[in-house]
Amino acid sequence: MPPHDPRLPANVRLGEHARISGQDSFKRFRSERDVALSMGERSCAEDVKFAIGRLGHIAIGSDCYLNDCILLAELEIRIGNHVMIGWNTTVSDSDFHPIAPAERIQDAIALSPLSEGMPRPAALCKPVIIEDDVFIGPACTILKGITIGAGAFIEPGSVVTHDVPARAHVGGNPAAIVPAGRDE
Amino acid sequence: MTPGRKLAHDWHDGVIPENVVFDETNVIDTSYSFRRFKSRMSDALTLGRGSAIYANSGFDLGPDARVTIGAFTMINGAEIVCDEAIRIGDYGLISWNVLLMDNYRVPSSIVERRAYIDAILQNRLRAIHLQTKAKPIVIGENVWIGHDSVVLPGVAIGNGSIVGARSVVVESIPDSVVAAGNPARVIRRLSD
Repeated sequence: MPPHDPRLPANVRLGEHARISGQDSFKRFRSERDVALSMGERSCAEDVKFAIGRLGHIAIGSDCYLNDCILLAELEIRIGNHVMIGWNTTVSDSDFHPIAPAERIQDAIALSPLSEGMPRPAALCKPVIIEDDVFIGPACTILKGITIGAGAFIEPGSVVTHDVPARAHVGGNPAAIVPAGRDE
Repeated sequence: MTPGRKLAHDWHDGVIPENVVFDETNVIDTSYSFRRFKSRMSDALTLGRGSAIYANSGFDLGPDARVTIGAFTMINGAEIVCDEAIRIGDYGLISWNVLLMDNYRVPSSIVERRAYIDAILQNRLRAIHLQTKAKPIVIGENVWIGHDSVVLPGVAIGNGSIVGARSVVVESIPDSVVAAGNPARVIRRLSD
């Protein structure tokens, strides 16, 4: 493993020739895990925002290229090898806020400037898994609990609400399988 | 036209490429729009009479790309990614953050995609010859494309039609309709 880059948080582990560049990559990085973010050999994250909660963890494989996207992990986001993610894409493993109306009021109160430090009610979190060789186009949204199977191709602008099978080609909002031959 | 083709009042220190055809009836806000312009075609970009390229519009043109923009057409902060041909008719209104692309620029096969990512990571993208095929986009006359929409390769949009904001246009749209959504569907017909 290469020596630790002092500009990065102490709990970030980079493989050989992996690199992270950008101004605001760690603005919302709050993880207290021993290893909050790991990135494999040669992987590159340009202007990627790593918004990781106190208990969150993101693991990225080798030979990945991520550009100007947002990864929000309260629990876990796992990304395989040779994965490409385009600009303005958001990957999140949580709902951000509770669904039930009464709990949501509690959350709104806890978030207000009048209630600094008040604990927030829990929002539902489920890990996101993106397997090897997945391509995710620009402006996509990947919701919590999603598994995207190896080699899948996600069209630009898709909102992925259900698991995607390996090698599938999906697009739209909500993302659905694109009929074969549409762009061949 | 001044030698070197610098714009007056341009905040960006750049020039308009020689193979862009425009005249005094056109407005181009900034040469920054051409930072990714690599077309070697003659007349690579032609602007019709009274058409305008505003704000942070971008022309990401590959070596063989040719883009034609009709008269009185406004490109108001859109990104045009072209490797073969994109034609926009007269009286077009193309809103902010619209993306028109005639090529995905990413291989659909997993093996080629790995080679493509490796080329990016090793900063030798220019050396790789992408096998993905461009499919021209043809936008008719009097077409209004709402903000943040995406028009994918091979799409044609008929005369007089409107694309709603934040739509993704994956297949062609007939004349005189409103289409919206992701993927975009016809939601209404327009009468004259």
